[in-house]
Amino acid sequence: MAQIVGAFCVPHTPFFPWRVETEGPTCQTAQLFAEVKKHFDAARPDLVVVFDTDHLNTFFFDNLPIFAVGVADGFKGPTDEPRGGMKVYDIPSHAALATHIRRQGVDAGFDISLVQEFSVDHSVAVPLYFLTPDFRTPVIPVFISGHVPPLPKARRCFELGRAVRNAIESWPEPLRVAVIGTGSISLEVWGPKIKRGTSDGVPAPDWVTEVCGYLQNSQIDRLIAEATEERMQAAGSAGGELLNIIAMLGTIDNTVPAYLAPEMAHGHAYGAWRGN
Amino acid sequence: MSVYALNYLFRETLRDHAFRAQMKSDPAAAIAKYDLTDEERAALLSADIGKLYDMGVNAFLMGYLCRFELLGLTPDLYYDRIHTSKRAAAGK
Repeated sequence: MAQIVGAFCVPHTPFFPWRVETEGPTCQTAQLFAEVKKHFDAARPDLVVVFDTDHLNTFFFDNLPIFAVGVADGFKGPTDEPRGGMKVYDIPSHAALATHIRRQGVDAGFDISLVQEFSVDHSVAVPLYFLTPDFRTPVIPVFISGHVPPLPKARRCFELGRAVRNAIESWPEPLRVAVIGTGSISLEVWGPKIKRGTSDGVPAPDWVTEVCGYLQNSQIDRLIAEATEERMQAAGSAGGELLNIIAMLGTIDNTVPAYLAPEMAHGHAYGAWRGN
Repeated sequence: MSVYALNYLFRETLRDHAFRAQMKSDPAAAIAKYDLTDEERAALLSADIGKLYDMGVNAFLMGYLCRFELLGLTPDLYYDRIHTSKRAAAGK
């Protein structure tokens, strides 16, 4: 049977690959990703499931699912020209397992959209750039609508994580699966809460500290109770990306992190959790 | 429905490089084919970011105008203009 061998949270800031290429392995971004990658590599995953919020690239206002699973043999990304430049990769996937995840999810009461022809933006490609840099590990994206209200409830996203876990653990291949939840905890992008002269800002640093406290102390019910749409939106237009981290937590038994580092300048958290 | 058209054309500045180039060289011609109201067209051509935001345009998409240096926008101008928005003043 497939098993979840580790769970991780990382940000996906578009220019981070460029920054690390420019500033080298001693810069803070490189160091934080390297810490997570140590845990990621130690888990020896064969496949990655990533909970992700697309930035109106994979989806648009013509069709904006609350939950969706990418079911394909592969897909391209990033297709949104991340600042500083990034190659467009061919990312392999696993259509049969993705189909199973959707089937099990629907059976568990989650109305998950089917997406068979798609590309992804920086929000999937940047985490992979750092964690699976050869882009050979298959990746199944599970999309959560975290930017455009109404947002799904935090409890619902956690339970979606549970359903994805049950699907993985009922899959007959002996695959080692890593789960990533990617996003910011507080970040405004091009909205009114940005810092003058830049594209973004961190409107709610206190919320980042509070969320990281819940993560560090494994207070998941408290985190879910506090992560209302109102609070996540007050934390910026990307604040709902916290839902990806909450869904990731739903896939594991032991929610005490093996590694956790807040990064306040961008409203991020880098974390690693053990598998089941 | 035409906020949809505004959002759509902002995203086209990312996806369609010929459109992006025309938005630089002749923005009025570039947007001519889109189904916009006169008010929307005027707000767009004058890069009235505050007004566009009040019309309900998505900020991620509107940011492409600044990122691709369209309609004379700079990050400082963008910041100043989005703060003329009533929606922004209400903290949303």
